[in-house]
Amino acid sequence: MSKSKIFRIFDYIIAIVLVLFSIFPILWLLLTSLKPTSEIYSWPIKYFPSKPTFQNYINLLQRGDFGRYFLNSVIVSGSATILILITGTLAAYSFARINFKGKRTLMMIILALLLFPSVAVVPPLFLIFRNLGLINTYISLILGHTALYLPLAIWILTNYFRTLPRNIEDSALIDGCTPIQMIFRILLPMSLPGLVAAGLITFVFSWNEFLLSLVLLSKNEMRTVVVGISLYPGEYSFPWELISSAIILAIIPIILLTLLFQKYIISGLTAGATKY
Amino acid sequence: MSKRTGLLLILPAFIILIAIFIGPTIYTIVLSFSSYSMSGIQFVGMNNFIRLVNDPNFWTSFFNTLIFVGVTVPIELVLGFVLALVANRAIKGRALIRVALLIPWALPAALDALAWRWMYNTDYGLFNSILINLSIIDNPINWLGQIPLAMISMMIESIWKTSSFMALLILTGLQTIPSELYEAAKIDGASSWQSLRKITIPLVMPSIMVSLLFRTGDAFRAFELPYNLTGGGPVNSTMTLSVYAYNNFFQYLDFSYSSTVALVQFLILLVLAVFYLRTLRWDVYE
Repeated sequence: MSKSKIFRIFDYIIAIVLVLFSIFPILWLLLTSLKPTSEIYSWPIKYFPSKPTFQNYINLLQRGDFGRYFLNSVIVSGSATILILITGTLAAYSFARINFKGKRTLMMIILALLLFPSVAVVPPLFLIFRNLGLINTYISLILGHTALYLPLAIWILTNYFRTLPRNIEDSALIDGCTPIQMIFRILLPMSLPGLVAAGLITFVFSWNEFLLSLVLLSKNEMRTVVVGISLYPGEYSFPWELISSAIILAIIPIILLTLLFQKYIISGLTAGATKY
Repeated sequence: MSKRTGLLLILPAFIILIAIFIGPTIYTIVLSFSSYSMSGIQFVGMNNFIRLVNDPNFWTSFFNTLIFVGVTVPIELVLGFVLALVANRAIKGRALIRVALLIPWALPAALDALAWRWMYNTDYGLFNSILINLSIIDNPINWLGQIPLAMISMMIESIWKTSSFMALLILTGLQTIPSELYEAAKIDGASSWQSLRKITIPLVMPSIMVSLLFRTGDAFRAFELPYNLTGGGPVNSTMTLSVYAYNNFFQYLDFSYSSTVALVQFLILLVLAVFYLRTLRWDVYE
């Protein structure tokens, strides 16, 4: 065997080891979810289900609450993503292209907010939303998530807009476009990759967000999917057949988005996290 | 375009940020200097802060958080760097590797914590089973039920979740280094250790610095992981500042004291944010 061939095999081994390292908890949950209850709680452990079954998934879906949780997450994360893309695009464009007084300070506030601990606004947000009667309404969490991930989206989009050639926009403005028209007709089509990246990252973060979702939507039928699942364990019982199948279903959208759009997500994240 | 347009365009974003972040943060400050009850807010001066300084549980959460950050972040950095070097070498599988490195980042931290709780399970857990099958241990270990093992178990989970993400950021930095640099160094007779020290590390340093700061902030805010993996136990040994602030709020319904804890955490992160801003080059925004 030639030396380069050995190296190539070595490369594949590295790739496989890294992939296994990344997914083994999920793999183990998947195997658990396909076992009948007796095999989940058996010692010594059965690593693979002797007869894979979807019974746990059927039981989960028959409970009814899971579908509702899932729908709540779709509504909240979808709306937050749209709201972030609209307000974030406008702000990022301004930061990237227009010189105005106080811009530096505002941009610094955006950056500082990237490190903001959300627990610091939990008590006041709860009290304010409760006084406004907005606890257990989608609007409270949509606004919460929008604020939470808007700074990152603005940062990613600002960096993206700065990479685009400026003269096309300028000539559109000279030709009599209003700034808003120019943004929607010229800038947005050009910046689709940046928007996709910011949108996907927002959606993933919002889908996964825990603390605000736990606090602001506390009624069972309003819970998001991540919070709903986290409450399946009772005081003394851990129904792992239920939990494992629920986790697998809850992460399917995230895994699909990651697999399909990994390029966009990576470019967006690296622009957000490492560009300066 | 005019300055007014500039301000107008950022207005919608800032209305939301002020409503959800900046305004409530001011309210947090007010709450932490007062006592909140159904009848209203009463100003109590520094009482909450005096209580905080004398509260052993606060200090436990504080030091737990520091230890958690201080141990996990450096390990994640080193492990991430090594993973990135390896992944950068594996030319054939690189696309696959990049997706794989992204997966732990993309999963919800709260559900990851549950998955790990299941693997750490004393009676039916994967880890005990493997270790017993390999004859490394004789009896199952109670990973999450004893001090200081619970903290170590929590750190291991965190290191798993974030090392790959660190690796991804560093890998992106590595791929921007032109290969001619390495070739030239090779011709000059540099060893691979020398290339690593003189070319690779300095050139990926900016990505490393910024991801390090972000990661430190993230670890300092850790909530989902302790809350769902151990609930802060046993005996507060995995209690972090975020969980402690949350518990004061929802378990003890002490809004003012919870705000005080959260405010202290916020101030520490603010220092980190200032440090972060100072490391950035601002001239690009002039």
